[in-house]
Amino acid sequence: MNELVLALGWTGIYSPMAIGAIGSSIGCAIAGQAGIGAMLETEGGYGRYVGLSALPSSMVIYGIVIMFTLNREVTPENAGALFGIGFFAGFALLYAAIWQGRACASAINAFKEKPEIFGLSLAPAAIIEGFAVFAFVFALVVSAGVPGAQ
Amino acid sequence: MPAVETHQDAYVALIASLPSRETLFVAKQAPLSRLKLDQRLRVLSDEDSATLKMIEDALDWRSLPMKVTERDVINRSRRILQHVDNETLQQIVRDRLEIRTCIAALRRRALGEGAPSKDTPWGIGRWVDHIARNWTEPTFRLDGVFPWLREANRLMREGDTVALERLVLAEADKRLRRLAGEHLFDFEAVVIYVLQWSMVDRWSRYNAEVAVRRFDDLTEAGLGRFASLSFEGEG
Repeated sequence: MNELVLALGWTGIYSPMAIGAIGSSIGCAIAGQAGIGAMLETEGGYGRYVGLSALPSSMVIYGIVIMFTLNREVTPENAGALFGIGFFAGFALLYAAIWQGRACASAINAFKEKPEIFGLSLAPAAIIEGFAVFAFVFALVVSAGVPGAQ
Repeated sequence: MPAVETHQDAYVALIASLPSRETLFVAKQAPLSRLKLDQRLRVLSDEDSATLKMIEDALDWRSLPMKVTERDVINRSRRILQHVDNETLQQIVRDRLEIRTCIAALRRRALGEGAPSKDTPWGIGRWVDHIARNWTEPTFRLDGVFPWLREANRLMREGDTVALERLVLAEADKRLRRLAGEHLFDFEAVVIYVLQWSMVDRWSRYNAEVAVRRFDDLTEAGLGRFASLSFEGEG
């Protein structure tokens, strides 16, 4: 039984990074496809498309920071907490990355026709980023109370 | 773990590569040529391409041979509706066909025909029997479902076919726009785009003002120096 609990603890430590990476990959792919499509239709501003396509990559960075924060000796006492924090933080980052990718795709689709709305079109993606930051910050705050912090 | 990505995302690049939709009746021409549109649509899978072609064929009756009967058109439309299993696409086709059914009923009535019998194939959709039952009512008692029918009935009686065509296209465009808001990066969005493109292209091709101006230019060019001659009886 203890082995399973310990495995869950390690899963929790690695989850935010791994699940965050999956989310960032999907999010960047969605936004990237929109960027490539928009490049076919427009004559310039390609850098903006590429930059916006990379926005969901921030999720894996949050995941890496959470992983290092959670990284400690896994014991039966802290394994459950590590799993709960790590897995659900990763899950939140996954969804935030995917939907941020879709928001970026919509933004690219909109500002390719009206470049003047570039800033405004980023608002939905920025709001989603805000929710991811909540998950990130509170994962760090809660992890401070988990036994075994270095 | 829930499904994190759907097949919808494959359409993102295609939709983003299409120019924004032009406003119907305002645009002087379609946002891109059919040739260019077809080039962009090449990224669709064979199955999607076939479905799109089927839907376009179901709604574009200009390509039909003159000898085709109403029964053929109705049977073909029914086959297509059965073949398309996507709910939104079915709704798109059904909406357009129901609008045409209403117009067909108005035309028949304007020609003095009585209510069609149950055995006569004349329309398609949910309202065929209802329309036949309420044949003598100005709007077939469908005001609630099709608020534009009253205006269509008036235009039909006045014989203003251009305004009637405009009304019908505006209604079809309104329905497509409503659905477009729910579909951003999926196959339905591609179909909606292509159908809206067809309407803009169609309208811009038979713009009455342009036709009259072109006719005047051609007449003047043909008459040459005789264009300024006044005819007998002219003030």
